[in-house]
Amino acid sequence: MTLPRLGHPNLGLGVGLRTVHFTHILNEQPEVDWFEIISENFMDSQGRPRHVLEQIAERYRVVMHGVSLSIGSTDPLDFEYLTKLKRLARHVNALWVSDHLCWTGVAGLNAHDLLPIPLNEATLAHVATRIRTVQDFLERPLVLENPSTYVGFAGSTMTEWEFLTRMTQATGCGLLLDVNNVYVSSVNHDFDPVEYIRNVPHRRVVQFHLAGHTDCGTHRIDTHDNHVIDPVWELYRLAHELTGGASTLLEWDARIPEFPVVHAEVLKARQYMTNCLPPTRPVSTLAPAVDGPPSIPHPLSFIIPDVA
Amino acid sequence: MSDAQPDLDVIQRWMQSVIMHPDGVAQGVASHAARQEIDVNPQDVDKFLTRSKTLTALERLQIYGSAYYARLLECLREEFPVLVHALGEQTFDAFAFAYLHEFPSRSYTLNRLGAAFPRFLAETRPEGEEETWPEFLIDLATLEWAFSEVFDGPGVEGEPLFDAAQLQAIPSEKWTEARLIPVPCLRLLTLRFPAHRYFSAVRRKEEVDPPELAETFLAITRREYVVRHYPLERTAFALLQQILAGRRIGQAISAVAESAEMDLELLALRLQEWFRNWTAEGFFRAVEY
Repeated sequence: MTLPRLGHPNLGLGVGLRTVHFTHILNEQPEVDWFEIISENFMDSQGRPRHVLEQIAERYRVVMHGVSLSIGSTDPLDFEYLTKLKRLARHVNALWVSDHLCWTGVAGLNAHDLLPIPLNEATLAHVATRIRTVQDFLERPLVLENPSTYVGFAGSTMTEWEFLTRMTQATGCGLLLDVNNVYVSSVNHDFDPVEYIRNVPHRRVVQFHLAGHTDCGTHRIDTHDNHVIDPVWELYRLAHELTGGASTLLEWDARIPEFPVVHAEVLKARQYMTNCLPPTRPVSTLAPAVDGPPSIPHPLSFIIPDVA
Repeated sequence: MSDAQPDLDVIQRWMQSVIMHPDGVAQGVASHAARQEIDVNPQDVDKFLTRSKTLTALERLQIYGSAYYARLLECLREEFPVLVHALGEQTFDAFAFAYLHEFPSRSYTLNRLGAAFPRFLAETRPEGEEETWPEFLIDLATLEWAFSEVFDGPGVEGEPLFDAAQLQAIPSEKWTEARLIPVPCLRLLTLRFPAHRYFSAVRRKEEVDPPELAETFLAITRREYVVRHYPLERTAFALLQQILAGRRIGQAISAVAESAEMDLELLALRLQEWFRNWTAEGFFRAVEY
């Protein structure tokens, strides 16, 4: 029988490591349970980003989260990338390595986006084969996240939760359940997010993601640029209850506030854990409306150099 | 098109060519590249992409199309902030947009996205243009990219460097045979404009005009994870080039003495000063004989 969280510990409440917070974290050593790093930001680094990561990995537990594995692509797997991923995981003693159920490019190109695949028997077999190859190479189970998506395919024959369930059964991989993505996709694809949360394989959930998003009127975009909205917190409450709890991480990738604000946001999760009192304020479905420049879906990972 | 759903590889090549199309997804669907994969009209896209209650399939696809360029333009703006300042965001975006179309990312990391941008600017410089403004912009892009490479490339933090005492300790009889080993982060750059001055002024948020044409020789390196740059005299630059090429000090000096724009006595004096300064700035990691 599968151990809950694939046997991984529940690390508590963590924060996605971002460059703008490097100095604060090094100087203040905040009491954060754990950090998640964007793998691609560090796997080639031989400068300050890598140096900062090494210091953080000495003090905190670290998990790796990638955006370029492209597990759903029909291009061959990139073994140079996987070699670097494995080396970094060993170097920072990453507890697990995650990426997304998506493809990022084909024909040698990278769109740097988390693009959706049709959900059917053929794509399930394709993805499962690649997951097994990656797991054999990394010598550890992969953890895959449900992305926010904006198009659906007529060729899909199953729901995303069914696909995830069968994918984990076929490969033994874990799930990174992004509760905000469930909500965003539920609006974009007109499905019930509660049904989704109820039907994912709960024992396979290794980690949760939480984030803010943008309400564009006709659809929602996963922008990671604001606070988590109440309906997402309510979904998190349900997911926490059904899974028995898992490591929970807040992502904030645009218009990033000071570190204490980001940390305080993830600490709100305590209010939504099983046996906690319900929130006192009324539930709102308001997400920040579009304001200023166009909303850009995650991922956007980039490091700005220090030049004297 | 029949009702049969296309295979995953076909859908992916089609979708990528559509969302990367510079004129939007409707043009993308109608493009030759997309039609080679799936021959469908924009209004018929819902034969294999579904609509939502509020958006058509094409409108949903446009979310990815818009995000593709918006995301990568944002990266390039962050990679070349001073060039953005010089050009203005709108003009920068126009160049960057054309660049992304010509040089789409082939890497798993966004950190290499701007690698060919200076070359792209040079190759697309208007022919017969008398103005030197484009040359300055190319220099600025070259400088900013070099800073990025040095910032996250190999360095020597935490390692002992070749120091003043070791410089003094080189026996005079071995001086010409000695080979100074540069640190791996040391880069040399020749520019047509002192773009580094403009860069520094903009970073200090000073009002500054673009510089006048003036051949510029820079050494760029990194200490304690911060990128530093040093303007050099032409002869000093030439000497450092020889050292970086692995020449022994005697060979390097001979090579530059032949073409030096200063008399040899003065050169001899300056040599001491240069080697002292370069050592103090951590340009070398060791000496070999």
